[in-house]
Amino acid sequence: MNRFVTFLAAISLPVLFTQAALAHHSFAMFDLTKTVTIEGTVKEFAWTNPHVILWVVAAPKDGQPEQVWSLESTSPGNLKRIGWTKRTFNPGDRVRVDFSPLRSGETGGAFKHALLIDTGKEVEALAAATASGKPDIE
Amino acid sequence: MNSLFRTFSVAASALLLMGTMARAQSSDPINPPPTRKDWLALSKLPDWSGVWTPDMIDQMKQVKTNVPPWTPAVAKQIEFLEAEEKAGRPFLVFKGCLPESMPAWMLISHNAMEIMFTPGRVTMLGESDGNRLRRIYTDGRKHPDDPDLTFHGHSIGHWEGDTLVIDTVGIMPETFLAVSEAVGIPNNGDVHIVERIHLAGPGTLHDDLEITAPHVLTKPWKTTRIFYRQRKQKYDIVEGVCLEGSFKHTTDKNGNAILEPLAYDSQGTPVPNSAK
Repeated sequence: MNRFVTFLAAISLPVLFTQAALAHHSFAMFDLTKTVTIEGTVKEFAWTNPHVILWVVAAPKDGQPEQVWSLESTSPGNLKRIGWTKRTFNPGDRVRVDFSPLRSGETGGAFKHALLIDTGKEVEALAAATASGKPDIE
Repeated sequence: MNSLFRTFSVAASALLLMGTMARAQSSDPINPPPTRKDWLALSKLPDWSGVWTPDMIDQMKQVKTNVPPWTPAVAKQIEFLEAEEKAGRPFLVFKGCLPESMPAWMLISHNAMEIMFTPGRVTMLGESDGNRLRRIYTDGRKHPDDPDLTFHGHSIGHWEGDTLVIDTVGIMPETFLAVSEAVGIPNNGDVHIVERIHLAGPGTLHDDLEITAPHVLTKPWKTTRIFYRQRKQKYDIVEGVCLEGSFKHTTDKNGNAILEPLAYDSQGTPVPNSAK
């Protein structure tokens, strides 16, 4: 488990950044009471403002046809502060991703957590408390 | 004789022109070059260096604990928007990546900002909206009599000790007085904001706002918004062009790297089509 995941685990407030911080559209489009997990291959990782988007090609269940899922997180500026970079995900990476699904039923959601299957690296969403909880002036 | 008359005419015209220019200059103030004394005066101001991140947990808390004094008609609209959000149909306050505007930037932004002092000016630079900014004139000028209406309005400021007092008018009526990204109301004009910004601790900045919005509020609304200082370089402000997400990075038929506009849905959100 890398350092920033450990750091996030220490945050007691369970509020995910994605609940409120997807600038310019509200979190309410996602059903935050649910978690969906998919396993597939990264098609594209858009390191763009206002939202980073991870595109994953995955079958929702075994035997079903593959679909493209768009999984959003906050901005590059906010994510770089917990260790994400434009190379956190790369096309072709095999991933297992947990996310809060879109209420509309479309293939997308708010990113919560990912496991990069080949390296074992874990990637977490930014928690609101981490983003805004205290000064860091050491 | 003709030649003498022409000379006289030219001289008279020149005098008239100079007079006109002199009058124009007197009603057309300049920004004087800062002096050494002006720069030295900045060293007496409080230290607001670093990057400031908003306290979002407090923002969310205040949605319930510090409700603006909405007029009855607006309160009904707000109630509807809250119900829509609860039902998973959030209203989109910041349609099309338009600026969060004032006072919503100070109230509900999720993004970092920095604050710079230069002679006669305080400038707030935000990370989002590519990149948003507020110019606050501290050179003693007044508001224009008839300001152009803008997203952030016209701001003048002065220092009272270590507190920056900002007065803002001229905000566009169509911009939202918002309590969250899904709940807000167009301010409908005549907004006046007084802010008192000051350090509440070595790493904590408070913006005490008093917002007068006569078409949507029954009385001025007071709220304090909290920002935390970050000194680690990983917090350095990065470019944050909101509209970038409305385009797809792709190549044209000649192999040039281009940004291709995405379609928008009925809510004004870009529909990412790279999946198609």
